[in-house]
Amino acid sequence: MTDAYNRVTEKIVEELKKIVGPGNVLTEEEKLEAYSHDETSAEVYGHAPEVAVLPLDAKQVAAVVKLANREKIPITPRGAGSGLSGGALPEYGGIVLSIDMMTKILELDKANMVVVTEAGVVTNDLATMVQAEGLFFAGYPMSLQTCMIGGNIAENAGGGKAVKYGVTGRYVLGVELVTPRGDIVQLGGKLVKDVSSYDLKSLVIGSEGTLGIVTKAYIKLIGYPTAKSDLLVLFKTPEEAIDLVPVILAKGIAPTSIEFMDQLSVITSCKYLNESLPYEDCGAMLLIELDGSSVSQIETDLVQVGKLCEEHGAMEVYVAEDKNNIERIWNVRRNIAEAFKVYSPTQSLEDIVVPISRIPEMIPQLERLGKKYDVQIPCYGHAGDGNLHATLVKNPESSMADWEKNEALCLEELYKVTSDVGGKISGEHGIGIKRRKYLKDIIDPVELDLMRATKRAWDPNNIMNPGKIFV
Amino acid sequence: MDIIVPIKQVPESSNVKMDPETGTVIRAGVETVVNPLDLYALEVSLVLRERYGGKVTAVSMGPPQATRALKEAVAMGCDNAVLLSDRKFGGADTCATSYTLAQLIKTLGKYDVIITGERATDGDTAQVGPGIASWLDIPAVTYVSKIDGVENGRILMDRLVEEGYQQLSTALPCLVTVVKEVATPRLPTLKGKIRSMELDIPVYTAESVTGLNPEYLGLKGSPTKVVKIDTPKVTRSGKMMAVQDEISLRSAVDEFIDLFEKKGLLP
Repeated sequence: MTDAYNRVTEKIVEELKKIVGPGNVLTEEEKLEAYSHDETSAEVYGHAPEVAVLPLDAKQVAAVVKLANREKIPITPRGAGSGLSGGALPEYGGIVLSIDMMTKILELDKANMVVVTEAGVVTNDLATMVQAEGLFFAGYPMSLQTCMIGGNIAENAGGGKAVKYGVTGRYVLGVELVTPRGDIVQLGGKLVKDVSSYDLKSLVIGSEGTLGIVTKAYIKLIGYPTAKSDLLVLFKTPEEAIDLVPVILAKGIAPTSIEFMDQLSVITSCKYLNESLPYEDCGAMLLIELDGSSVSQIETDLVQVGKLCEEHGAMEVYVAEDKNNIERIWNVRRNIAEAFKVYSPTQSLEDIVVPISRIPEMIPQLERLGKKYDVQIPCYGHAGDGNLHATLVKNPESSMADWEKNEALCLEELYKVTSDVGGKISGEHGIGIKRRKYLKDIIDPVELDLMRATKRAWDPNNIMNPGKIFV
Repeated sequence: MDIIVPIKQVPESSNVKMDPETGTVIRAGVETVVNPLDLYALEVSLVLRERYGGKVTAVSMGPPQATRALKEAVAMGCDNAVLLSDRKFGGADTCATSYTLAQLIKTLGKYDVIITGERATDGDTAQVGPGIASWLDIPAVTYVSKIDGVENGRILMDRLVEEGYQQLSTALPCLVTVVKEVATPRLPTLKGKIRSMELDIPVYTAESVTGLNPEYLGLKGSPTKVVKIDTPKVTRSGKMMAVQDEISLRSAVDEFIDLFEKKGLLP
């Protein structure tokens, strides 16, 4: 693929201003800074664009992309910038295209249980809006307060509710896409079934903005589950906790979440929160959430799952049924990353995914890798779908140079170990810049070739989010 | 040591909405919880029971749905729970509520101490606790931050006051209202939950409470009259200026400087 890009000249800036209006073209260094980083390390992955544009609609997006394609200028689509793989970073400079201004929720079609929305709508706003109508967008990620629908689709984001509800892609019935050549195309729509063409919509979902820019989405809604309860289960060992996960799933009860927290995560988070739970003697915790439309059904399921936990050696099973208690126990899980930042702000947030039954094998491996590379590796995450946030935390005593060396070596070995148990290197954060060099080691070369061929066919000039996924 | 814990079911406060017409809280469809400050009373009671033995009984006055709050108290570890529920109690202010609860407590028999939360998060009066004590004619100690223990029939406590802490003791039986410092509430356990599901919570009506004076009940027995409820109006106003480019930025800055000058905020 050709990577010989042209620079953004004065003339091109003028042309961009004509397309989106002068106020929506940013060229000042201090303004571009905001578009140069995401939630990955700015020192390592950050890169400023030459210009940032904020189009108002698909037509403007298409015109900008046409211009970029004609002039061979790289273009990087950007949502809220809450990504964890560098997917929205303009590594080659060029244009950052922000979907910030495309924030209209266009239609709530209750008869078809579909909401049609522009891509720049904050996921939380969409969730709140449909919830007021008793409806539920179930595919949202943990960062829902900030992230945008367009970004969710580009990354096929997943979250804490994936065990029961799956990830973003399950709820995307259709997208309006601006292709890398600047055409506007609608893929899918309000139809529940449609085999009249290749399922290109699904190819776009999770393509990390390399196949075009989603400008509009048709999102499938379901009824809002009005009843919700949680169990917080304390175990002596992580093995006991993990072994229980397939047992619960096999019962035919589909929990919304089964979150796993190892001892290191639990202790760090509980200390940070001043939480008085008896965590000192516990080797791991599971947080199990159940939801549905009937309070009594949830109560029955809750007791059944709780009893299973006790039968399988749980030290204690706590029950949270009202909002305050539910918040209290989820706080332990949500604050793990924050708590570790206090200990050591330099981290590599990972999201390996392995078959659920192989999680127990990963725990001792993480311990071994931590010792070997002088890092702490708290392990927490979505045990119910095998997606683990095995985070590398820098030893605050060690030098930055040592950390960088150790991080790279440790990641390489972590990914190898993950692959050996049949896992993949990213369950929900994506490959982006951060993991691209590891991709070839864990993917079938034929699959990689097919991916490259697809990319070439869609984007012959390789202007659409270059440098992501592929080395 | 037998302990009574009066608790209240309140709307979960993070999404309370007010009716702009009547100025009252819209209760329909709002999730309810045990008054968060009552959880501290429950916790310290359970700790005392673990130390001295005896029983902890949670009581509540409210509609039948308040059973849910009592079940949660049982799930946390309370031995018994009693609901006081009757249309005749409707519209009770703090005076009528504390009278009715006091009569219930008399009906239930012997107790050593009554422990309540500092106040309920919906009414915010902090009157029902001391009110119960006054109807029962027993000592009341409010804002207790620590219960040291019981010696020779007296309960030893620290009480939070403006200048610091008072150390005091009082004879049993008595009523104590506690502040957050007193303990960290435990989470309900599965065992407690199962017990609470199996436990039949008795409902006491006006008939089942002994010696109730009908004149003191509900709206009739409530000297508090709500004349008017006002939601405070926000009187400060803001001005937003949309900035698109250099020119509009300059004019926005000029406007700010003008405004600050007029208000005398610039040196």
